[in-house]
Formats: sequence, C-alpha cells, structure tokens
Amino acid sequence: MNRAIPVVLLLFAAAVFPLSVKTIFLDVGIERQLGTAQKIFYYHVPMAWIMMLFGVVCGIAAGVQLRRESRLAEAIAIAAGELVIVTGLGVLITGPIWGHASWGKAWTWDARQVSTGLLWLVFVAYVMVRRYGAAGSERLAAALAIFGAIDVPIIYYAVKIWKTTHPSNNVVGSLPPEMWAALWPGLGALVATCIALVMVRTRQELTEMNLDDAWVRAEELGEAGAKGATT
Amino acid sequence: MIEATGALLGAPATDASADEYEAVDGLARADIECQRAHEAIAAKKTASDYQHIVWAYGVLWSLFAIYGVMLWRRGQRLGADVQALSARIDRA
Repeated sequence: MNRAIPVVLLLFAAAVFPLSVKTIFLDVGIERQLGTAQKIFYYHVPMAWIMMLFGVVCGIAAGVQLRRESRLAEAIAIAAGELVIVTGLGVLITGPIWGHASWGKAWTWDARQVSTGLLWLVFVAYVMVRRYGAAGSERLAAALAIFGAIDVPIIYYAVKIWKTTHPSNNVVGSLPPEMWAALWPGLGALVATCIALVMVRTRQELTEMNLDDAWVRAEELGEAGAKGATT
Repeated sequence: MIEATGALLGAPATDASADEYEAVDGLARADIECQRAHEAIAAKKTASDYQHIVWAYGVLWSLFAIYGVMLWRRGQRLGADVQALSARIDRA
C-alpha cells in the first residue's frame, strides 16, 4: 500500500476544508424553514453517508475474512469498523444538536435515530470483540459486522417505512444548486480524511499481525539457539 | 434626536415642530415596534443556532482529532515494538 496516498488525501482535506467552511457560512443563504442551524446539515449528512459506507465496507471485508481468512480483509474490516464508531458518534452527536435547535427536542426516538444508534452499538460490539475476544472470536466478530452492514439499508429506508421526524430521502436530491455547491467540499474533505484514516489504520493492523508472527518466530529462534548452546 | 425619532415613529407632531419635522408615511410606532420585536426574536434564534453550530462542528472535528492522536500513538507503539523485536533478533 502506497504510504504517500494517506498524506496526499489529508493534504487535500486540509486544503478543501477552509473552502467548505467559507462556502457554508459566507456563500449559502439561510434556509427559510430551518434557519441558521441548517448549516449543521453540510457535515451531519456526509458523516451519515460515510458511516453507512464504511459499515458496508466492514461487513463485506468481514465476510471475505470469514471465507478466505485473508489478513488484508481482516485489517480493512477492523479499520472500517473503528471509523464507523468515529463517524457514527459524530452523527449521533451532531444530529441531536441540530434536532434541539430545529425541532426543540434532541432525541425523538424516531426510526432513523434508533437504527443509527443500533448500528453504532453493533460496531462498538464488533471492535470490542475483536480487541478483547478470546481466540476464535473473529468469527463472532465477523458475524456482528455483517449484521451491522445489514442495518445500513434499514437506516436508509427507515424514513420510508416508518413515520419519522427526519425528512424523506428525496430532500437531498432536491437541494438547490447553491446548497450542493456547499455540500460537495465538505463531503470531499470528510471522505478524503476518512479514507486516509482507514488506510493508515489498515496498515497498522497488518503491521501488528506481522509483528505478532515475527515475535513468535523470534522466540522460537531464541529457544532453539539456547538449546544449541547447552548441547 | 429624541424628537426626530418621535417623528420617524409617526408620533403626532405638535404645531410648533410641524415646520421642522415631517412624519414619515407608513412607519407607525406599532409597526416599528413589531418589526423590532421580530428582529429581536430572529437575533436570539440566530445566536442560539450559531451556538449549536459551534458545538456540532467542534465535536465533529474533535472526534477526528482524537482518533488521529490515537492512531499516531499506536504508530509510536508499533515502532517501539519493531525496535524491541530487532534487538531480540540481534541477541538471538
């Protein structure tokens, strides 16, 4: 994996982020119904998309790991799972802040909120099992990741299936061009940051796995050397 | 200044001041007060909204910063582990 890619992505994000903030706060007008607080949308919604994307990536990678016992897939699954926790926490905090400003209530227990909370808990469980589980717990963890990935379409369709306080999925598609112009830079900066973080974390996980193997070999080598010296 | 404001707000002008100040049509005191009340509500809402925005953006980028620091520390630990392994192999 090229080590320069995460650096390039982070530099891109660092360059685009000020442009994003400038566009959101200086170029786009105040939304008529939701007021100034609507500006939270430009980071809340991309975070939710990224959370769902990496939830699916984690589920697929965990599935590949289950079938082929691929180390790369395992490392990608762990990195993506951790990123789901970070972005999910972002969504679950910024959402209620926006809700408090716009609806007057931070948490309404609507289907999208609950399914997002469930997704976050599932991936927290996944990462906990991966980190603290006994030998053989990788299969249970992978099953959790796949279950989490299945929750993603439930989050997306929650506003269609159940009556919720969240707006319908068509809202984003019907945004005026000036709002899209403000959404793209934020989305680009966040996606670039998240891909860079996942790449760094994947490489760390692979290094850790290889190090574990190397330590075992080094111990064996040391024992063999000690035996050779005594005989 | 006070007299001028009174004229602007459409206060009944006295005969003495009629030559100096002319009431502005369409700016009744009640309308102005209503407008100011709306402005105060809007200003309060905007201030509250900006407070929410600062919290939301602050939390969001803090999360990334914290995760970034965690990755950096993990990287440091892995680097130390590699060095320890090298030393162990050299000893063997």
